[in-house]
Amino acid sequence: MTRLNARLPYQILTFALFAAAWELYARARGGLLLPGFFETLRATGALLAEPELWRALYVSNQALVLGFAIALALGIPLGILLGRFRTLERYADVWLNILLVTPMAAIIPLLVMWTGIGLTSRTALVTVFSIVMVIVNSRAGVRQVDPSLIEMARSFGAREREIFTRVLLPGALPAVMTGVRLGLGRAVTGMVIVELLMISDGVGGLILEYRGLLKAPPLYATIVIILAEALLLISAARWCERRLTHWSRTTATRANLAGSPK
Amino acid sequence: MIEIHGLSKTFTDRRGDTVTALDDARLDVAENEFLTLLGPSGCGKTTLLKCIAGLVPYDSGTIEIDGRPIQGPGPDRAMVFQNFALLPWASVVDNVAFGLRLRGVARAEREERARELVATMGLAGFEKKLPGELSGGMQQRVGIARALAVQPQVLLMDEPFGAVDEQTRRLLQEELLALWEEQRPTVVFVTHSMEEAVLLGDRVALMSARPGRVAELVPVDLPRPRARGGGPDRSGVYAELTAYLWDRLREMHEEHRTVRTGAPA
Repeated sequence: MTRLNARLPYQILTFALFAAAWELYARARGGLLLPGFFETLRATGALLAEPELWRALYVSNQALVLGFAIALALGIPLGILLGRFRTLERYADVWLNILLVTPMAAIIPLLVMWTGIGLTSRTALVTVFSIVMVIVNSRAGVRQVDPSLIEMARSFGAREREIFTRVLLPGALPAVMTGVRLGLGRAVTGMVIVELLMISDGVGGLILEYRGLLKAPPLYATIVIILAEALLLISAARWCERRLTHWSRTTATRANLAGSPK
Repeated sequence: MIEIHGLSKTFTDRRGDTVTALDDARLDVAENEFLTLLGPSGCGKTTLLKCIAGLVPYDSGTIEIDGRPIQGPGPDRAMVFQNFALLPWASVVDNVAFGLRLRGVARAEREERARELVATMGLAGFEKKLPGELSGGMQQRVGIARALAVQPQVLLMDEPFGAVDEQTRRLLQEELLALWEEQRPTVVFVTHSMEEAVLLGDRVALMSARPGRVAELVPVDLPRPRARGGGPDRSGVYAELTAYLWDRLREMHEEHRTVRTGAPA
């Protein structure tokens, strides 16, 4: 926590610079479609009082919660199995690569064709967006567990099940949590993109609606609220990560893990 | 106590070549004996130890402990690792209690026994610390305590002091000697140091590489207890033995070099 507090002044400073630049540009350029920073703030306040926003957030987050829960329930065990049993990798590698490199927006039409325009396809998209981060990081987590710990456990009579529960799972936890945090970011992205591109519903639908009506301030306010939600969720994930994996900061084991928090 | 006959073990390396680690190795270790295994690097001494631990399957031969052939790891043996192999997320007490936990000892009992051993190893006050917060020497004390916690008949130690600095090593050697002289477990101790082999062992089993087998058993005729007053007199028998062991090891290294350069490319 001390680190967070130490960084806070810098974050406030850069945010103030950003807000000032935005406000100045909006005033210099003027026009209906570019509200200033303060006007956006006012619009955000106003929008928060609208039941329409809360309905949209509810709709969107349904897909987020369901889709991300599925991503975790499938992704963590799958990643751990892939990390432990290398032969499985031969089957999974190509699919993981596809998931990693495909522009996900491109498969939205397919998903919609398969599952219709409803909660199912929005949920599926959130899962597809986020699961790869969860799998890849869980797999890396298991791989980076020191093999001598497995040997040690075996020397004290551990069976495969105990090696999983006492060595591999706790050892992989920091990386799994990193995957959860990165996956969450992608899940929010997926949630909004599907609503913007195919299924006009939820907060994405709200953006489209305000854009169609040329209502710039509430449009901006919606985006601010989506960003705020994303930041909140990721901070919560980071907080959990710190709480659960305090030990990993006493060792250098995860210094080279992609996306690990400092 | 431990009887090893005709033990052979080959590995396949990354390029698919067959490497003979042990070839018809034989060794007997007596009850309550402190045996040190010394040899040039790559002679298979760690492999031999891991075979005794039941961690590495061997191709042929037998390993018996009190007449029973070993089948995998067992509660009669506990191992101490060169790199400590402590669980980085578990406290000192939980690490020491790890073997007991795997053996289904109830929480209260295993914690009590772990705390006693933590105190024996001079780590009182560090019970709740994580391994990453300890120095290398302290970490290995935890590793030794973890092995002692399961009350093994045989303590297998794989270059346990190889990863700590010279001064810490001296301290740990003296502590181990004091501990052994009090409790007299059977110990097989792998080392690459002639001095360590002589200082600690009742006998030194000198291993040769290619073939990996015990080339010679050297009795160490130094009085015990050796732990007190900074260890035994380092002149006399001690100096003679380490010099003799180095002569033998150097011969092995030279033979190895001739074999290498003499072989057709």
